[in-house]
Amino acid sequence: MLEISIFTILATFMLGGSIAMISNKQTLFSAFGFLVAMIGLAGMFALLDSRFLAIAQIMVSVGAVVVLSMLTILTVNAKNENLPDEPHKYKWILFSSFLVLPFTLLMYKSTTALYQSFSSMEAISSKVVGKLLFSEWVLPFEIVSILLLAAMVGAVVIARKERRKKERRKSKERP
Amino acid sequence: MSPQLFFLLASILFSIGLVGLVSRKNLFVLYMSIELMLSSVNLLLATFSKVLGDAGGSVIALLIIAVIAAEAALFLAMTVHIYRNNRTVDSDHFDKLREEAHNA
Repeated sequence: MLEISIFTILATFMLGGSIAMISNKQTLFSAFGFLVAMIGLAGMFALLDSRFLAIAQIMVSVGAVVVLSMLTILTVNAKNENLPDEPHKYKWILFSSFLVLPFTLLMYKSTTALYQSFSSMEAISSKVVGKLLFSEWVLPFEIVSILLLAAMVGAVVIARKERRKKERRKSKERP
Repeated sequence: MSPQLFFLLASILFSIGLVGLVSRKNLFVLYMSIELMLSSVNLLLATFSKVLGDAGGSVIALLIIAVIAAEAALFLAMTVHIYRNNRTVDSDHFDKLREEAHNA
C-alpha cells in the first residue's frame, strides 16, 4: 500500500513535469519541468530496488545534464522575439497525442502481456551490478568511455569553431 | 505492487516525449523530449531487471545514462554554435544545407 502511494506521487510528479516541459513557451520553465521529471525517475529507480541506478540518475542526469542544459539556456538567454513563434502549439500537441495514442496502447499491451508479476528477489545490490559491469559488460563499458571522450572533444570543437574563424579573419584584415 | 503500472508510466512518458518532439519548434524543448524518451526506456529496462531478477538490465540502463551525458554535451554545444550564427532557437530556420543545395 505504501509502495502504491509512493508510486502515485512520483508518477504525478513525472507526468506533470513532462507535460509542463512540452507545453511551456519559456524554455527555462520547460527545463524546470524536465528537472522534476528526472528527480521522479530517480525515485522510480529507488522504488524498483535499483539503488546504484538511482544514485547514478541523481548524479548524472539531475546533477550534470539538467544543470548543464539550464546553464546553456541561461547563457543563450533567448529573448521572446528570438523564441520560435508557435501559434498553433496546443492544436499540434492535441493532434499528435491522438496520433501517438494507439502506439502507446500497443506498447503498454505488449509489455504487460510479457510479464505479469515481479520475481521475488531482494534489492539489486551495487555489488552485483559492479561485478556484471566489469565482467560480462566490460566491452560496452570501454566503448562508452571512448564515446564520452569523443563527445567531450567534439563539444569543445563545435562550440569554439566559429570564434577561431572570426579571429583569423580579423588578424588577416589588420595587416 | 505489479509491473503493469511501471509499463504504463514508461509508455506514457515515451509518448509525451514523442509528442513534444513532433509538435514543438524550440531546440531546447526538442532536446529535452529526446532525453525524456531515452529516460523512459531506462525506466523500462529497470522494470525488466526487477521482473526477471537479473541485474543485466540495470547495467544496460547505466550505460544508457552515460550515452545520455554524451548526447547532452554534443547537443548543447551544437545549439550554442547554431544560436551564435542565427540568433534563434527555432528549428525551422536551420535549413542552410537545403538552401545551398537548391542554389547550386
